[in-house]
Amino acid sequence: MRSKRFEALDARPVSQDGYVTEWPEVGLIAMNSPNDPKPSIRIEGGVVTELDGKKRADFDMIDTFIADYGIRLDNAERVCATDSLELARKLVDFNVPRAEVVALTTAMTPAKITEVVGTMTVLEMMMAVTKMRARKSPANQAHVTNLKDNMVQIAADAAEAALRGFAELETTVGIARYAPFNAIALMVGAQVGRPGILTQCAVEEATELNLGMRGFTAYAETVSVYGTEPVFMDGDDTPWSKAFLASCYASRGLKMRFTSGTGSEVQMGYAEGKSMLYLEARCLYITKAAGSQGIQNGSVSCVGVPAAVPGGIRAILAENLIATALDLECASSNDQTFTHSDLRRVARSLMQFVPGTDFICSGYSATPNYDNMFAGSNWDADDYDDWVIIQRDLKVDGGLVPVLEDDVVAARNKAAKVIQALFRELGLTEVTDAEVEAATYARGSQDMPDRNVVEDLKAAEDLLKRGLTGVDIVKALARAGYDDVAKSVFGMLKQRVAGDYLHTSAILTGDFAVISAVNEPNDYRGPQTGYQISDEKWAQLQAIRQAISPESV
Amino acid sequence: MTVMDEKTLRSIIEEVVNEFAGGAPRGGTAVATAPSVSSASGSLRISEDGPAERGINPREVVIALAPGFGGRMTSTLIDLDHGDVLRELCAGIEEEGLSYRFIRVFRTADVGFIAHEAAKLSGSGIGIGIQSRGTTVIHQKDLPPLSNLELFSQAPLIDLDTFRAIGKNAAKYAKGESPSPVPVRNDQMARPKYQAIAALWHIKETQLCDAAKKTQALRVEYR
Repeated sequence: MRSKRFEALDARPVSQDGYVTEWPEVGLIAMNSPNDPKPSIRIEGGVVTELDGKKRADFDMIDTFIADYGIRLDNAERVCATDSLELARKLVDFNVPRAEVVALTTAMTPAKITEVVGTMTVLEMMMAVTKMRARKSPANQAHVTNLKDNMVQIAADAAEAALRGFAELETTVGIARYAPFNAIALMVGAQVGRPGILTQCAVEEATELNLGMRGFTAYAETVSVYGTEPVFMDGDDTPWSKAFLASCYASRGLKMRFTSGTGSEVQMGYAEGKSMLYLEARCLYITKAAGSQGIQNGSVSCVGVPAAVPGGIRAILAENLIATALDLECASSNDQTFTHSDLRRVARSLMQFVPGTDFICSGYSATPNYDNMFAGSNWDADDYDDWVIIQRDLKVDGGLVPVLEDDVVAARNKAAKVIQALFRELGLTEVTDAEVEAATYARGSQDMPDRNVVEDLKAAEDLLKRGLTGVDIVKALARAGYDDVAKSVFGMLKQRVAGDYLHTSAILTGDFAVISAVNEPNDYRGPQTGYQISDEKWAQLQAIRQAISPESV
Repeated sequence: MTVMDEKTLRSIIEEVVNEFAGGAPRGGTAVATAPSVSSASGSLRISEDGPAERGINPREVVIALAPGFGGRMTSTLIDLDHGDVLRELCAGIEEEGLSYRFIRVFRTADVGFIAHEAAKLSGSGIGIGIQSRGTTVIHQKDLPPLSNLELFSQAPLIDLDTFRAIGKNAAKYAKGESPSPVPVRNDQMARPKYQAIAALWHIKETQLCDAAKKTQALRVEYR
């Protein structure tokens, strides 16, 4: 006979999740693995001859890349010899300025920084992230995708997401050939919602670069790096090829960050018996060495792996912390489903939500999760009110603001109409009035009529063949009578020439002013310092539509 | 309830541990070659037939199997028998009046590269790549390796009907048609349920990779 209590417990969402016990020999361990190397560094004549217990002759390509480009050597031997606990205390202690800590962390080896954060509790790590985040103000990023690759819905969802406060929007595809349509719809829809929103389209690397060079996107994020050589090789890549790709983006004035995360190496079958966090630390030093301004990390799409082992969610916070400590922009994941349990998903996100990161989610699904083509996010459109009410409860700025239904409907309607007009002007496939109406009021793609996919794909391919660029979009929008949107898209293209938004942690205001770690660096030094919610912002965060005012009763 | 009970999971883990203890070399290069014959449990029988050749028949689709498919592994992540999976893919191709040919890739377990290898060797330029866990790609030889014509990335959502539709669409591309892509499916709870288990699956598959071994032509029979 079964216990009725255990029967009830077994039926709870948390019991639907997959869990596994630690298995250090293959790297199925989050952090503090007995197999992780002991920190060491030896420098002779300006060259690293030993790194984390390995002699230069035994270096793999990742060791070489990090040793040659990833560590500030002038201070490295002294920092490596310093007690890790003492260094951890400096990370947590807000009396030690951020710049002083960065001078230490960027001189550490991957094994050293792993050892340092390995001494810290999640609360201490959150304190450290509050101080080490590069940009003074936190922000947020959304995913805008749908199961049908319906570009009218993408434009409407992008406009709504922009209105709700996201600083960056990311799309991808169900069908790869839809990429140009999705990228254009995202960019144009975002500019309808709020000028200055940065947008990207995550697809195969060459295609993604092509879309960026044409001016259909403003940044790229899915340039993946890995902590072991065989996983790199599996993707026909090296740290040098990734660095080359990074420079391609920079040369065209496009913002770019790398992506990595705990669990990817063991997920790909080549963890070499090291902990997930140590391998992620190697990724972060590769990122630094390649000259990328930032990283998307926090396990990302591999979150099911660390989340299945003990201490996995702690390791995810630890990797975000290492990213910030290396002075990188950090888009801190919180973007992929890892649990059936609402309690677990909130607990996981509080680690970044409370201290604040450059992008707390990367991204938050701007659609219901059934439309999320990154296989589901930890937060979706059905959680919008939960997110803004948790912000209001804790007086935390999590990057979103409460909005009114009428404003959202108006923005969605305009974005859909703009896409209709743009497609007509560019000679692409037809967008019907029924689609505009449906996108205006839709919750997701189940509310959208089906499109002729074959015709769309032909038109998308033709668009690329015709050599259309962002300038053609600006002209077409102006011809269609949408001067304001044309001006915004043109404003985004001008950023590419100015290049100021290539600085660390850059986002744009509605007036196309850059906010970055250069002109607004994080100066947190304890209570009432660093980012403070202004009175005006606090009034905005309080104004949820569900609140009843005393005057109205 | 988790989909896989603890006992099954433990047995998979033990099996992989044993493979490690058995001295499989670290570092991702050569490991023991995948056995040519499937386990006795299924009716599928796969044997190698020498290095795979580039086809000249424009009316063929090449199906490339990952190192463990139908060999060390016998079913997908949701327990579809590998023999049934291949039967459906082939039936889909046959419905369009085209022929098919099987190869096995050893140098990688990455489904994008496996499918691209199939496309490059295919007389029509169209290939299908499939991993043991069920992840499948339809590829075309002129596309970059990590792009695709159609990608079915969520293995737990690919049922036998979908495999048939994949075969059918691949054949249509081979005929130069522009078919409606097989409707994409999405389940945001597939990851919480399956990702850690899928990782174990992939660890097994990568252990069967052999960077030095050429892609092999295969004979596929049912007993």
